[in-house]
Amino acid sequence: MFAERDIETDQASQRVAAWIADYAPTRDAPDELIHRDGRPSAHWRQFLESLAAFGDAGLEQRFAAAGRRIDDMGISYRVHGEAKERSWPLGRLPLLIPESEWRELAAGVAQRAELLDRILHDIYGDARLVAEGVLPAAAVTGSPNFIRPMCGVTPPGGRWLRFYAADVGRGPDGNWRVLGDRAQAPSGAGYALENRLVLSRALPSLYRDMNVERLAPFFRDFRASISRAAQRVDPRICLLTPGPWSETYSEQAHLARYLGFALVEGEDLVVSGGKLHVRTIAGLKRADVIWRRVDADWCDPLEQNAASRLGVAGMFDAIRKGAVVVANMPGAGVIESRALMSLMPELSKRALGENLKLSNVETWWCGREKERRQVLDALNEYAVVGAFADRLPGFGEWREALGGALSGSERARLIDAIDRRGVDYVAQAPTKLSTTPAWIDGRLSPRPFVLRVFAAATAEGWTVMPGGFCRISNRPDARAVSMDAGAQSSDVWVLTSRPITWSTLLPSGEDPPIVRALGNLPSRAADNLFWMGRYLERAEATLRIVRTLAARLIELQHIDLQGRQSIERLARLLIAWGAAPDDLPDLNPTRIALAAAADADAYGSALSVVRNAKRAASIVRERLSYDVWQLVGRIEARLTRAGARAVTEPETLEIIERSLHTLAALSGLIDENFNRVAGWSFIDLGRRIERAIGTCRFARQFAGDEATVETLDALLDLLDSQITYRSRYIAGAALAPVLDMAMLDPFNPRSVAFQAMRIDEHLAALPSLRSDGVMEPPRRLSVKLRAELESEDARRLDASMILAWEQRLMTLADRIAERYFSHGADGEANSQPSRIA
Amino acid sequence: MIYDIAHHTTYKYDAPVASARCAMRLIPRNDRGQTVLSSKIELSPSAEFISDRIDFHGNRVCEARILEPHTRLRIALAARVDVERPPPPAPALTPAWEIVRNAAYASDSLAASSPAHYIFASRHAPLFDTATDYARESFAPGRPILEGAMELTNRIHADFAYDPEATHIATPIVQAFDSRRGVCQDFAHIMIAALRGLGLAASYVSGYLRTYAAPGQARLEGADSTHAWVSVWCGPEFGFIDLDPTNAMAVGNDHIAIAIGRDYADVSPIDGVILGAGNQDLDVSVDVKEAAI
Repeated sequence: MFAERDIETDQASQRVAAWIADYAPTRDAPDELIHRDGRPSAHWRQFLESLAAFGDAGLEQRFAAAGRRIDDMGISYRVHGEAKERSWPLGRLPLLIPESEWRELAAGVAQRAELLDRILHDIYGDARLVAEGVLPAAAVTGSPNFIRPMCGVTPPGGRWLRFYAADVGRGPDGNWRVLGDRAQAPSGAGYALENRLVLSRALPSLYRDMNVERLAPFFRDFRASISRAAQRVDPRICLLTPGPWSETYSEQAHLARYLGFALVEGEDLVVSGGKLHVRTIAGLKRADVIWRRVDADWCDPLEQNAASRLGVAGMFDAIRKGAVVVANMPGAGVIESRALMSLMPELSKRALGENLKLSNVETWWCGREKERRQVLDALNEYAVVGAFADRLPGFGEWREALGGALSGSERARLIDAIDRRGVDYVAQAPTKLSTTPAWIDGRLSPRPFVLRVFAAATAEGWTVMPGGFCRISNRPDARAVSMDAGAQSSDVWVLTSRPITWSTLLPSGEDPPIVRALGNLPSRAADNLFWMGRYLERAEATLRIVRTLAARLIELQHIDLQGRQSIERLARLLIAWGAAPDDLPDLNPTRIALAAAADADAYGSALSVVRNAKRAASIVRERLSYDVWQLVGRIEARLTRAGARAVTEPETLEIIERSLHTLAALSGLIDENFNRVAGWSFIDLGRRIERAIGTCRFARQFAGDEATVETLDALLDLLDSQITYRSRYIAGAALAPVLDMAMLDPFNPRSVAFQAMRIDEHLAALPSLRSDGVMEPPRRLSVKLRAELESEDARRLDASMILAWEQRLMTLADRIAERYFSHGADGEANSQPSRIA
Repeated sequence: MIYDIAHHTTYKYDAPVASARCAMRLIPRNDRGQTVLSSKIELSPSAEFISDRIDFHGNRVCEARILEPHTRLRIALAARVDVERPPPPAPALTPAWEIVRNAAYASDSLAASSPAHYIFASRHAPLFDTATDYARESFAPGRPILEGAMELTNRIHADFAYDPEATHIATPIVQAFDSRRGVCQDFAHIMIAALRGLGLAASYVSGYLRTYAAPGQARLEGADSTHAWVSVWCGPEFGFIDLDPTNAMAVGNDHIAIAIGRDYADVSPIDGVILGAGNQDLDVSVDVKEAAI
């Protein structure tokens, strides 16, 4: 036992030695693992030794598990302009920071956050720093994030800045320094949380042994402080997202879910009576706090960008009236500009009376005569970048110009540009990013990184998240990292010597109040849940038709003329639904079946409909469990694969069967796991309405005036009711009994009567806008419909009666939309804002 | 000179609009040689006025909302304004343009009157090399700023054709510049971009022109709708001086300023959001006459 252990330890040490021997950081930038004197740092040694103890196979297993977990959790991001989200590229090694070093860094970030808040108070207040000449006006006015309507406004809750992030890296001297400030709407904190979830599960023993600081207390403090800033106790806090097309929507959904904030889009909000409200199914409800991820320019079309559809008209006025706390205040982004970086040491002395604890990368703003001369005199020494923009003004897509690397004409252009419009440019020392070990193809490699550190304002001052969001470049000589193709992120472990206490978001030492209803469902969420339910049901119905068709096709040679007729009807139904193209040669039923399942170009194919369901689901992602999200993705993936290659008839049938099973699992999951007040009723309403309409269509198609035994048999297949029918009726399929089963049987969960009953029950349970007890329009329809179906006699039914019910069901769907989803029912709205002038 | 101004804007919608909210910048400014003697905005259908404030640039903004469904919205402004502007200084007396530029860069004020707001690219006035180069021809080293700016005003008038068909509200100014055609709004934006390319401060002014020419003078271009011109900062001593590239003239008592901003986006007469779908049709009429007192 002991001997074995020793051999293992021995092997592990050898492995670590080999990794380190193989590891060759560049000499012109500091590295996390190898110190300047060439020796590895103690904490990295400890980490690598524990890692090596897993053995090669054990290590790969753990890393592979981490990869699967990322996919399972649905962590993703979007590269700007791409339709498809990418799976999250999480590096397998964390960035390690020992406690003593962290404490210094955190103190520097906290000081900087406080300083920036003071500067914002000054800029939007009496501008004394400007009048005293410490802060040139042009260093402020050049920023597109200087939001003039906010001048003279007192920020509700007392702070311009509540959530700040600093991008840091090590300078050539090994000290941390700030590379960039983020105050508009810093992203990455949610990804940091997700990175932690994944990595701590992949390497649980290491995570425990290294004594890593937890992230939860930081978020708890942020939430507590932001709620305290609101006017009301128990405020409604909303995370304002630009929507599913935003690059970091997945992160925003995760944060909203984690913090218990409502995820809203501009369309969900309305200003009424000078206050901000959320449109919910129970009418307008006050929004007390907005944590915004929408840039300030897009927040209010009446005062900023008139073309914006991401914000809400009147938001700025509500802020001026003190009616809503916004974090960060519109206009906070002005401190992100590089022009300001050159002024920070002086600003710190004037505004705080302190020296900067954490310096930023050395920067010279060319808007001032002295600096402009200095830069122009020694252009080769500098990297020139935009003072306010990501791109270098006047140089197209360039992000920077390295003075020493320019051609003669480029150089002349740059000199002219700086001479004319120095205000647009800053010069910085062209240093490379420092490096940290990354696990690449089974080897340890040094990679440049940028660490984003987050700070939140609390009543006691700034608290800094112990950890952060680390981006790692795939280019060894990078000077900047963005999450474009090729970059990775990694978890950040702050190693501490004090005992770690487990903490979740639960407030400690308090008696948490019991809450059962999560507030009122926003109308847009209800709308999307409803459509998610409808699309899933439609997908199921389509697949049922395809299955019924495919099953008959396999036995085609044994089928008589009547059988062929029902095949043709099924095929025509699929074409009528838009599930298959109507221009296939000779109505080949096999090809129609396959198209209806998996043709991405047919708008009604099961694949297209599932994609619609997924789109609706993505808008309410924060309300769905990972399991639901995953199952929807699985059906889509399966049908996509089926459409991508030629499949045989039995294979088609198998794919259909499996997809139906997954859909059934999804329904079960939704029924069993979806909280009844969180919107489940709208998914179910959608499902019931769609099923009722679908069943009416099936009944008209297969149990109409020309019904045969064969078509009735197909109808029973479509309704999954063969077994029940045979147990009730000895003889074969007959018109009235089949119709009864499809339309009126209150015990058959696929009958129209059953759906009407459930719809009516849902509508009865939803909140009413009326206080006089009079029924709202949707309910009036559902009560009548339900009563008629319950009392009708199957022998009296004909196609025209069924058609009339079908039409009333569609009217009912419209009334539900008008009452619960409409954006215009209450207050004035900007659901389809269009510029008047 | 005292003017009576009547400005009517009518929107017609294909489909009924359930409700609307709009911010209006229609009432002339009460500074820089102008005094508003009276003003009134009327909406039909009737509206609820929810705020009346002065925006960052010193423009008066009235916000209103219309809660009843409508297919036609009519906004009418009636105002009486006294205009008594001092004549512009002799151009040769103004400082060299480089000195003015450096003074703007070094401004120590964030007040709306600071040139620092008007030296950067803005939404409708992006900076581009050809416009900068166009401006350079009028700004030889050491030339007094107003001399250069007046020459630029005249050159734009000479080189560009007034052509309402050539551009619309969303036409990028690069396109108007390249085609050498456009309307007052394009000329103002082009002149602003050209001046800012050199680092000079220039703002956008929206306003009215007297509809009928003063006796013995030609009728001015742009008189039957809202007009736009440029205000150039000529250093701390002379401040902002208004020039009209559409009519190749310094702004005198024929112009009535409504609003000032970095470009059109800051002074847009009516910004609004409506609840409704479908197309809309816009009709504007402006009448500016000498008041019969």
